[in-house]
Amino acid sequence: MMSRSIHRLAIIVVGLLILTVTACHRAEMSKPLIVIIVPSQDNPFFKSEADAAAARAQSLGYRVRIDAHDDDAYRQDNLIDAAIASNAAAIILDNAGADSSIAAVRRATQAGIPCFLIDREIEAEGIAKAQIIADNNQGARIVAEEFVHAIGSGGGDYVELLGRESDTNAQIRTKAFHSLLDKLPSLRLAVGQSANWSQSEAFQKTETMLQAHANIRGIIAGNDTMALGAVAAVKSSGLKDIVITGLDGSPDAIAAIRAGTLRATSLQPAVLIARMAVDEAYKFLHSGSTGKPERQVIPCDLVTSQNVDDFGDFEKLR
Amino acid sequence: MTTVLNTKRGSAALARSSVRTLLFVLKARAFFVLLALLVLFCILAPSFLTANNLAILSKHVAISAILAIGMTFVVLTGGIDLSVGSLAGLGGMVAGYLLTQGILIAGVVHYPPVAGVIFITLAVCLIVGLLNGWLVARAGVAPFIATLGTLYIARGAALLISNGKTFPNLAGQSLRGNKGFPLLGQSSFLGIPLPVWIMLCLFALAWLVAVKTPLGRHIYAVGGNERAARLAGIRVPRVKVFTYAASSVCAALVGLIIASQLEAAHPATGESFELNAIAAVVLGGTSLMGGRGSIPGSLIGAFVIGVLSDGLVMLGVSEFWQMVIKGTVIVLAVAVDQLQSRLQSKFLPYLQSASAEVRA
Repeated sequence: MMSRSIHRLAIIVVGLLILTVTACHRAEMSKPLIVIIVPSQDNPFFKSEADAAAARAQSLGYRVRIDAHDDDAYRQDNLIDAAIASNAAAIILDNAGADSSIAAVRRATQAGIPCFLIDREIEAEGIAKAQIIADNNQGARIVAEEFVHAIGSGGGDYVELLGRESDTNAQIRTKAFHSLLDKLPSLRLAVGQSANWSQSEAFQKTETMLQAHANIRGIIAGNDTMALGAVAAVKSSGLKDIVITGLDGSPDAIAAIRAGTLRATSLQPAVLIARMAVDEAYKFLHSGSTGKPERQVIPCDLVTSQNVDDFGDFEKLR
Repeated sequence: MTTVLNTKRGSAALARSSVRTLLFVLKARAFFVLLALLVLFCILAPSFLTANNLAILSKHVAISAILAIGMTFVVLTGGIDLSVGSLAGLGGMVAGYLLTQGILIAGVVHYPPVAGVIFITLAVCLIVGLLNGWLVARAGVAPFIATLGTLYIARGAALLISNGKTFPNLAGQSLRGNKGFPLLGQSSFLGIPLPVWIMLCLFALAWLVAVKTPLGRHIYAVGGNERAARLAGIRVPRVKVFTYAASSVCAALVGLIIASQLEAAHPATGESFELNAIAAVVLGGTSLMGGRGSIPGSLIGAFVIGVLSDGLVMLGVSEFWQMVIKGTVIVLAVAVDQLQSRLQSKFLPYLQSASAEVRA
């Protein structure tokens, strides 16, 4: 008897709760939805990018949903299906692979949902409404130039930390590094190893490589996380005067440049790109055209101790 | 006549001793593999056998060895703990949070001292370990599933703590009275890095527990035959809970060491570490069916994996090949393990009769 009345009370309370929650959300739900899909939310780069897109979309009067595909094309497929099912107005996508994402983008476009790609491109034109990407090649080249400049005319041996080798960006970056570094006879690649974009892996591998090769003058890393792992390893080895550079422009790297442990990084304007994509989506939804070419390549900025105060979280402030 | 008999006896003795040697080599195979690897890398990489590199190598090994030591107890009872990698990540994040954000008590932010940070981190991970133990021993959930669940829970919790961000600058501030955390992973004592000391102490402790205490014998008994152990009056659930708790504390230590080495806590730290730990345990001759294995074996197993990966990095072998080679070594080691147990059961009567003959 007692338990039944408690049961009933519980049902009523839950029912009331659901009613109030839905009432509160009805106003919110009437706004058009923009779905933002990024690789992960535990990485400061993708998080800043997603947050910037979300903030701009909300200020333009959209409802926002942020999803992460963990670099898994199958998961991305499911997320695109979910976006189609929830009748999104547009999709802002940092995709899971240049080739493996084409079908998903095409399906969304055919369902009448325009896709705006950020940060990474796909190997197809005319499907997405925009592909706005940071110039990885130029970004890697400017940081490599700074690396060469910092090591000086004496040259010497250097170590390269590569990203996940199956990743397109890792390949573009290492290619850009070598297009510059291989021309200089005074610089010699002692060893190149992948640390899979990871800080702890870069730490361990750098420690080991510093043992195997004496007289290392520099460490060029494919991203900031690995560069910071290398900074920790160099510190623990007690070695001095090793030039370390990163790539991406993460807040931690910028702090390390300010502290003098990291020489340089190249900032990818992720926040700018995310805002541009939302603005173009807005324009497209209202006029039927973005007014810009599909492929837009945005240059990166070199960050050194000289100009470190000009930069915030993945954006140039001044 | 006698000479013929003697030569017959002599050849039989020779065969017996060669069988014994073969069994010994197979039994200590992880150790021989380790020796072979050390010799190989000494020849190929000139700076491999320097004191400095061996210290760094042991420091890297300590990470998977500490996990493997805790894992050995779990595997000895016939269980498995998949949550250790995530727990290491969670441990690092808890420490990072306490060092940089402090605890809010009655509207005032308190920064616990480093010892307090370490204690709270161990306690948080211990709770997850106890949950693992409870799920397996009391709720009857299969170990694989129970710890798979806590793998996701712990990783999710680690991400939630910082909302996916990294906690940088864990060096602490004298103003907050929490300086000194980096010492845990970065300092050395008598030329040996502190993480290696932690590994050695845990190893000694775990070995003592395994071979010298009733608890150790109970762990083997539960893994050997759970029903028999229960009938013999062993409190099986309690033994199992202990093993998962031990494993979780080891994982917390690993998380603390990594966060201290990097002076930063990243929520994705420790992904797939559980697989390295399991590989080390299996390489060390512990049977995944439970009841058979040893703590020293796991330590040697962890060294095999560590020497292999560091050595290949020194030689500049590509990441892809490193994975293939590591996988091959693990599979071969387990195949040899099966060969050994088959040989042992085949030759055991023979060897026993031999020893009986000697006695006679």
